[in-house]
Amino acid sequence: MVGRRIRHILKSKEMILVLISIVIIIIFRLVNPNFLSVGSLSGIMQAMSLTGIIAVGIGTLLIGGSIDLSASSVCLFGGVLCALLIRANVPWGLAMVITLIAGFVIGVINAFLITKVKMMPFIATIAVSNVLSGINLAVTNAQNVPIPVESFWWGGKLVFGIFPVPFIIMTLLMIVYAFILNKTQFGRNVYLVGGNMTAARLAGVNPKKIHTILYINSSVLAAFAGIVLASRMQSAAPQSQSDSQLNALTAAILGGIAFTGGAGGMAGCFIGVMLFSFFNSGLNSLALDAYWSLIASGCLLIIALTVDYFNELSREKNLKVKKPASAAKKEGA
Amino acid sequence: MKKRSFSRIISQNRIIVMILLLLAELVVFSLLSTPNRSVAEVFSGESIFIKPKNLRNIINALPLSVFLTTGVALLMISGRLDLSTGANGTLCSMLTAFFLREGVPLIPTLLIVMVVGAFIGFINAALVNELRVAPFIGTLATSSLATGFTYLIANKKTIDLTNPILKAYGKEVVLGFFPVSALVAIIIMIIAGIVLHKTHLGRKIYLVGGNPQASMLSGINPRKVSYMLFTLCGLFSAFAGITFVARQQSANMQGISAARFQGITAAVLGGISFGGGSGGMAGAFVGLLILNTFSNGLTVIGFSPFLQNIAQGLLLIFALTLDYFQKEQSQKILK
Amino acid sequence: MSKYLEFSGISKAFPGVQALDNISFRAESGRVLALLGENGAGKSTLLKILSGDISPDSGSIIINGKTQVFTSPHQAIQAGVSVIYQERQIVPALSVIENIFCGDLPKTRFGMIDKRTLRRKTEEILKVFGLPIDPDEPVGRLPVAYQQMVEVMKAYRRNSDIICFDEPTAPLTDSEINVLFDIINQLKKEGKIIIYVSHRLAEIFKVTDDIVVLKDGKLVKTFKTSETNQQELIRAMVGRDVGDTYKNLKRNDKIGDVLLEVKDLCTDVLDHVSFTLRRGEVLGLAGLVGAGRTEVARAIFGADRITSGEIIFDGKKVHFKEPKDAIKAGIALCPEDRKDQGLVLFRSIRENTTMPILKKISKWIFINRQEERKVTEEAVTKFTIRTPSINKLVRELSGGNQQKVILGRWTNSLIQTKLLILDEPTKGIDVGTKAEIYQMVCDFARAGLSVIFISSELPEVINVADRIIVMHNGKITGSVLREDATEENVLSLAMLE
Repeated sequence: MVGRRIRHILKSKEMILVLISIVIIIIFRLVNPNFLSVGSLSGIMQAMSLTGIIAVGIGTLLIGGSIDLSASSVCLFGGVLCALLIRANVPWGLAMVITLIAGFVIGVINAFLITKVKMMPFIATIAVSNVLSGINLAVTNAQNVPIPVESFWWGGKLVFGIFPVPFIIMTLLMIVYAFILNKTQFGRNVYLVGGNMTAARLAGVNPKKIHTILYINSSVLAAFAGIVLASRMQSAAPQSQSDSQLNALTAAILGGIAFTGGAGGMAGCFIGVMLFSFFNSGLNSLALDAYWSLIASGCLLIIALTVDYFNELSREKNLKVKKPASAAKKEGA
Repeated sequence: MKKRSFSRIISQNRIIVMILLLLAELVVFSLLSTPNRSVAEVFSGESIFIKPKNLRNIINALPLSVFLTTGVALLMISGRLDLSTGANGTLCSMLTAFFLREGVPLIPTLLIVMVVGAFIGFINAALVNELRVAPFIGTLATSSLATGFTYLIANKKTIDLTNPILKAYGKEVVLGFFPVSALVAIIIMIIAGIVLHKTHLGRKIYLVGGNPQASMLSGINPRKVSYMLFTLCGLFSAFAGITFVARQQSANMQGISAARFQGITAAVLGGISFGGGSGGMAGAFVGLLILNTFSNGLTVIGFSPFLQNIAQGLLLIFALTLDYFQKEQSQKILK
Repeated sequence: MSKYLEFSGISKAFPGVQALDNISFRAESGRVLALLGENGAGKSTLLKILSGDISPDSGSIIINGKTQVFTSPHQAIQAGVSVIYQERQIVPALSVIENIFCGDLPKTRFGMIDKRTLRRKTEEILKVFGLPIDPDEPVGRLPVAYQQMVEVMKAYRRNSDIICFDEPTAPLTDSEINVLFDIINQLKKEGKIIIYVSHRLAEIFKVTDDIVVLKDGKLVKTFKTSETNQQELIRAMVGRDVGDTYKNLKRNDKIGDVLLEVKDLCTDVLDHVSFTLRRGEVLGLAGLVGAGRTEVARAIFGADRITSGEIIFDGKKVHFKEPKDAIKAGIALCPEDRKDQGLVLFRSIRENTTMPILKKISKWIFINRQEERKVTEEAVTKFTIRTPSINKLVRELSGGNQQKVILGRWTNSLIQTKLLILDEPTKGIDVGTKAEIYQMVCDFARAGLSVIFISSELPEVINVADRIIVMHNGKITGSVLREDATEENVLSLAMLE
């Protein structure tokens, strides 16, 4: 039994990704021995955490067959809102709760636009993203919002001297979500809805309900990521140079979560995030401009989509009928 | 019952509704921009909005919008989408300033930049047609790439424009107020409109957008159309970028990336549906005017630029809701 | 009380056609009942009513003595009905275990999924059916036959008393078919009620116990499989009075030289198809759904890839890579699905008619509106398309007029069509327009065109065509001249191996 499990893990796609990660580390290490030294490790883990927390939300939604492009803005919004509340003398615990509730509301709005008004998911979430980014800039006047409350700065602290708090949080989240996705009826229903909506309906599962929950989940997690980021940076920024949700999306797809839904999991997501962050940091360590990471992200996304395309082909090799319903859900025509 | 007739009114008279909307905007902003919000003041010339100087501002913003909207409108009619126009244009503006500063003569610079813009469009087409990537995610990926390269060249700085001819192009006016660049842009939009409505190429765009299968079985090649339009959209983004740097007289890292949703919003406002196969260039132009008037009006009555972002986001949602009503109406007829 | 399924007085009408008319019969447990009939006989409508997809206009379904009313497919499943359609209802990336138990996973005390029980139960089911499938394998990677088995096991797991199969053997090899039959026998032993919809008479005689024959929505007769034979079944399925519909057709009597030669054509569906077609000849292509007729049309038209074989058109060997090449050579196709593949619904009649001749109505790159109007009006008049204007959107036309627009597209003065392929041209069209179309087909032949007329309606095919080729399972099974064709002998060719 155990032997079969181990064999299964070794054969899996996730293992290939782990191997690729190791190869990348080795290559970068050869070029620059400083790469992945103990000193830079915590920096990498911090970067991973931000992408990772958002990836949990977006990844779960992807598995369910839909997409959320508002996560970046929600993340920034979460940081900004939390910062402003704290500056208004709200105790930071309460400020966090209020921010998460705000994320909840945004998720409800997204879900409403998509399930009730039947807008295409990508355009609805992009529109919401625009509005939110405008709000972010407006209330902060495009300035960073410093947070002068020391007890809130847990985001920058290290556990056991090496692991940043956000990293622990991300890992815990992934474990919890892996559990939910693998071991609960709800989690398996998410796979159903993303894999074959008709089969899901026939089994009595309501796709709209699942999607609503997933959108709320995605926004709450994005807001939480914003809180974590603000805690670590000790201030909240209303805009950022890198597109955190595109990174999260790339990481998720790299990690084996199919773009059309119904496949992938948290383990792959974790490894995808790891791969992505190593690659990014590797480029940084080569003393290339930070801007190369944008280029790299774009390339990585294209590579991820290519791999996903071939995976899709092999997944559906024997299926005579393709899945028009779930693919059309996200397609921008 | 009420909802159905509302849908019908909108869908059957889309252009008229849009023109009315435009006029309503003009009226509302004229009123709001007077000291006391009174009609009398509008007529006595105290409305800032209606003043010639302000109207000129609106016209000045046209060239960029026109270039960004035309390419996207054509793509949307054929059933596709491009979200990389802003990043593409920004990269092109940066490249233009860069090459000119390095001493490359004007004509080769422009040619190189146009090729780059078109090439990015070509990559979009390849992603969508060969890898079957959904257009929105594929173009977001190229958008990332383009932005990255922009930052790379700019290195956090702005690059000033050195070439006098391009500077002149940016500043020259015709008839005392109409910028030459706006004229060029509008002429190109008119040409695109003519091609769309009067040539067999344009007809193919509508047919492919309406039903790619049926088009293929009638001898039309949807893939060729797709490649052509994506590349063209990329080229137009390059034009937008060149125009931007000419008018700004310098290139910066933000560039026109904020404007990337303008094209889509204008197109959807103007009646071009995401599903493809419907709408027209005239509608896109009206949509564009509505959008520009909207931004301008908000500035005049004192909205901060950030509030404007919010307002534009809401406007996009509004446009999509209109689109929803139109689709709902047509579904009813089909049943 | 023994279990049974009863249909009582089921009727269902769609606009223009009575799909089912007072159907009543009973299926007993532990027996396999075959539902036999031509296309359009009402089999799929009956299945859809049983599976809760649509509701009958009148009549009721009685399961084990209780009358059932289904407003959704989910309710039908709750009531114990499972239908295994040709479209796989599986999630390809999930394992066999997950697909079998989808939506209904056994839970532990804490609400978590009980993986051990899941696996045990799955292995039990696999053992009952003797299937060598790895329970952890993602279903998408299994061969098609096993994917189907997974669906059967899903039905079994749900304790469905009633299991229906809709053309299950179409994608299966011979050995896989035997596995399927073993499973069906196992289900019989467990007392399930099995409904088996198929065209393949050989299989029906191998695995079913009772047969219900439907024709044009009515129940013709019920048989016990052991007490009947193929001829009797075929005779029950056909036999209609066609009246004068075809008597007055003005046909073409000048048939010319050979225009098209198809030699050993193979695609992934077709198996060495060969035939010839002469100028002015109307060739009918008969067969049941899935026989491969549309695939022949698409292969000739360049829309599908040819793996081997030769096509000689107008004296030259041709190899069309895309429809555009075929169109240039003079071949035209009116596709089977008018709305999805034939028309751009939101554009006008004018635009739909001129789709293949855009360059011909243009001066340089500009479309010549006058030429366009002339050609369209020519088509509208010639085919009496009832419309106030050529700018009317095609989706507002009736089915018959829509088909005429497509015909007009391919047979106007600006396009030199030599071979016209019509795939189910009268589907969903009223009787009056059908007659018009029959005459049009004959008129095309009289003008020297060759026509390939594909239809699932037997009376139509055997009365309009000069010669009829019958297909079954990707192969040509026979050829009959119109004078010798009867519904019975054509249907035999369409159904026998």
